[in-house]
Amino acid sequence: MTELELALVALGQDVEVPAAPDLTPAVLARIEPRPMPRPRRRWAVVVAFAALATLTATLAIPEARSALLRILHIGAERIELVDELPEVTLQHDLEFVLGERVTLEEARRRAGFALRELDEPSDRVYLGDKGTVWFLYGTPERVRLLVAQTPRLRLASDLILKKLVGPQTRIEPVAVDGSPGFFLDGEPHLVLLLDESGQVVEESARLARNVLVWESGGVTYRLEGDFDKEEALRLARSLG
Amino acid sequence: MEGRPPDDIALAERARLGDERAFEELVRTYQGIAFRTAYLLTGSSADAEEAVQTGFVKAWSGLRRFRPGAPFKPWLLRIVANEAHNRRRSARRRAELELRAAAAHPSGDAAPSPEGAALGREHRAELLAAVNRLDDRDRDVLTCRYFLELSEEETASVLGVRRGTVKSRTARALARLREAVTSD
Repeated sequence: MTELELALVALGQDVEVPAAPDLTPAVLARIEPRPMPRPRRRWAVVVAFAALATLTATLAIPEARSALLRILHIGAERIELVDELPEVTLQHDLEFVLGERVTLEEARRRAGFALRELDEPSDRVYLGDKGTVWFLYGTPERVRLLVAQTPRLRLASDLILKKLVGPQTRIEPVAVDGSPGFFLDGEPHLVLLLDESGQVVEESARLARNVLVWESGGVTYRLEGDFDKEEALRLARSLG
Repeated sequence: MEGRPPDDIALAERARLGDERAFEELVRTYQGIAFRTAYLLTGSSADAEEAVQTGFVKAWSGLRRFRPGAPFKPWLLRIVANEAHNRRRSARRRAELELRAAAAHPSGDAAPSPEGAALGREHRAELLAAVNRLDDRDRDVLTCRYFLELSEEETASVLGVRRGTVKSRTARALARLREAVTSD
């Protein structure tokens, strides 16, 4: 260590920090009991969602916010239509939500599936939950475009990505090179990460902008940014 | 990483599976370092307390995402640091830390350590003022590395960046600090 570094360590020891209060009772009072994992049920849920996906993919959505169509599912995503978005603590640190920052080479190596990339190289790459690979264009503070790819196999994990969509968000079924998908726009919607008991893993909650989501070859793709449907579809088709 | 991993790994795994007693033990073990981290990042006792509480509550929810066998401390500190940052942002630059150096060691104390001697040469108050003038990014990395004495790897985890980034940010922050101290 240099002299300056030694001085900083010493300074750190002398900086006056108030005594830490015992927060244990307060923390324990705020946590909810959590059921133990039940793997068998998880598979049942996955199968049920897959069946629902088949059903919904064949239907036209527009005005239909009927009971039948309140939950849509595509690939690793579950889209739930609600009358009012719940109040949750939004996570503003996007990097925290996306996961571990990695190099492109590392992402390619660790993804476990063939990544599809736009011609324009992304500014950052992250490896997130369920093996999702994120390409971020811009900076975490000013995102121009997010491209996410989640392998379907990872659905066996105990987390579910859920979008909560309010009445002001439009959902339109689309096809990307023959693969079924949805385009969401109008109003931002909530993106939540749920554990298998349905509890929100809170720090993942954030607001998403316009989104195109589709599944192809066992991978769920998501594009998120300030684009219209045509631009989103153009970007989707240009994924190499 | 540090001396506790075997216990922590077992406790974190039990907590991950829903064992509240195991989680309680983790809270007791880490609330001290969590509070110190949050306080150094916010400069406010009340904000630090809230950041730690909320951080632990989110950690409980987020344990499902926790990779079994991974070190618990940096994972927890990242959540707490994130909460602290949120509070610092919402306070709109109250983040200008007003850390005060503790009173000088009374005479009769043991002889100063080499670090203490080094600090004497650097003029503690002046150095602290210079640290306070650094921007958030510089101060955060120095806080983690030297005030909290976290390793580069732990700092990377807490700040959510790569280890190489910690290295480069630390070098830059030290250079700026050195310049600030020598130009005063």
